[in-house]
Amino acid sequence: MVWIDERLPVSNFVKNHLSQYYAPKNFNFFYYFGALAIFIFILQIVTGIFLTINYKPDAAQAFASVEYIMRDVEWGWLIRYMHSTGSSFFFIVIYLHMFRAMLYGSYKNPRELLWLFGMVIFVLLMAEAFMGYLLPWGQMSYWGAQVIISLFSAIPYVGESLALWIRGDYVISDATLNRFFAFHVIALPLLLFALIYLHLAALHTTGSNNPDGIEIKENKDENGIPRDGIPFHPYYTVKDIFGLSVFLIIFAFVIFFMPELGGFFLEKDNFVPADPLKTPEHIMPVWYFTPFYAILRAIPDKLGGVLAMGLAIFVLFFMPWIDRCTTKSIRYRSTTYKVLLTSFVISFFALGYIGMSAATPLLTWIGRFFTLVYFGFFVALYFTSVNEKTKDVPDRVTMHD
Amino acid sequence: MIRLFTGIVCIFISSLSFAASGSIPLKPVLIDLNNKGSLQRGAQIYVNNCLGCHTLKYQRYVKFIDHLSLSKEAIENNLIFTTDKNGQPTKIGSLILNSVNPDSAKEAFGVMPPDLTLIVRSRGSEWLYTFLTSFYKDETRPLGVNNALYPNVSMPHVLSWMEGLKQPVNLEKDQYEYVVEGTMTDKEYKKSITDLVNFLAYVSEPAQLDRYRIGFWVILFLAIFSFIAFLLKIEYWKDVK
Repeated sequence: MVWIDERLPVSNFVKNHLSQYYAPKNFNFFYYFGALAIFIFILQIVTGIFLTINYKPDAAQAFASVEYIMRDVEWGWLIRYMHSTGSSFFFIVIYLHMFRAMLYGSYKNPRELLWLFGMVIFVLLMAEAFMGYLLPWGQMSYWGAQVIISLFSAIPYVGESLALWIRGDYVISDATLNRFFAFHVIALPLLLFALIYLHLAALHTTGSNNPDGIEIKENKDENGIPRDGIPFHPYYTVKDIFGLSVFLIIFAFVIFFMPELGGFFLEKDNFVPADPLKTPEHIMPVWYFTPFYAILRAIPDKLGGVLAMGLAIFVLFFMPWIDRCTTKSIRYRSTTYKVLLTSFVISFFALGYIGMSAATPLLTWIGRFFTLVYFGFFVALYFTSVNEKTKDVPDRVTMHD
Repeated sequence: MIRLFTGIVCIFISSLSFAASGSIPLKPVLIDLNNKGSLQRGAQIYVNNCLGCHTLKYQRYVKFIDHLSLSKEAIENNLIFTTDKNGQPTKIGSLILNSVNPDSAKEAFGVMPPDLTLIVRSRGSEWLYTFLTSFYKDETRPLGVNNALYPNVSMPHVLSWMEGLKQPVNLEKDQYEYVVEGTMTDKEYKKSITDLVNFLAYVSEPAQLDRYRIGFWVILFLAIFSFIAFLLKIEYWKDVK
């Protein structure tokens, strides 16, 4: 070990980031999802490598090659279901991870950059999932991509050329499939890897926030160790192993007993090969995009809808500056904030439901209402958070469980 | 907080209702992939009546050895009736294809008869069962039959030799009277269709035969592992105050 340490600082690294990296001792349920997100990222890379071994990125062969994996490749069905279920769980985990940041103000000073890196990861992940969804080359892959890419053509002047440039053809075609494959398997995963590294580097610079929103580094003992901190290893490694194993039970249950999850994770129409001449009755994106899709459909104007959808994601980047309250955790914040956050969560679920339903006049109006609630959250938060009445934050973290 | 979260998940799952397209309500059908007899009968009905037009182009005959508990000889003698491009009997490792010429199929039916490997995954077993039991006599149609679930479908009632031909008394209420007798009673026909749908449910996802069985053991292992991990966590966290 000495020999290695003289040449590569392995022991130092372990000390700085595991055995003597101090994390607050009061993490709760919501603090599992960061580690789980990393686990799923690795799982997607590993299962993805195995899938590419047998997948053919060719419009004439893609669909059949996926069925080949499902039937003739040893354990191919398991690998494929792990990958397809993994993508949906990735979003479940990431949404909960982001919700945690909103609950406990984890994006606030000094963690703004951490949040921004996280938001870039979120946007990249959406691109990664969108491109991956084209690869099975089913009807919903094809028409979903057709609809989303045609959105770019709403942009004035350059729109049409931009959509053409992205597709590499006038419609979704073999050219599109090939480039999406390239982005999905190498370009975006590399970027994601780099961003996750930066996200973690930023996290380990400031240290974790916690459910009380107390900076544990401000209260250190005589050895310079935070009084409310415990070494990440072994305390959080054993805790995360437990969290991971419970997560895996749920994950395995979906993989083995309901891999389609009633059409949410694998849509029925995607078991029909892509047919450019036959538009499905009801085109909908996969569930994790439906809240944003509902916002798109709520605006009667195409360009306006695209802008609103983009803004719905873009506005999240500014959370550290929209939320001007210095008290971090929801535990010590006003009822106003609790009401606002609750209505935001309700609007997110409602929009998700509307985005996956066939459009009716009533649903469109409900969609418009919740679009207002969604954006209203940020506006109201900006104005109410500046002089928010908060409770006193204790000096030391509290332990609940 | 956990209660709030599970509440949200419950609301989400309760919205798992899917509207099925079609003009009549779907009829329930019992799918049992462990019933090898049913799967074998379904395979027999398929190759005798359906394969002439509809391929199963992602499925191989050889899989029937394990999945349908059939011997190689039984498959070669009873299920393989096609020949390869050299005129030799199709090999057991081949995909399940036929020799329909797309151009003449289009001329005859207006469309190429679709491949049915994944029909149960894209339409559902209930849809397929309802479709195959909803043909009725309709002289206004070119082939003399229509379908209550899929109006004006271009497929003829291929199984009318089994079912006979029925004429609607009340289409909405699913009431018919038989005008031509088939070789089977109504009950026998429904049972045969159940076998056929069961077979196609298997073909749509052969992994079902493995995943339920393996899934049970995987989850049992993970449950025990979680319990041990929980004890380990408790042990380590004793000294955190």
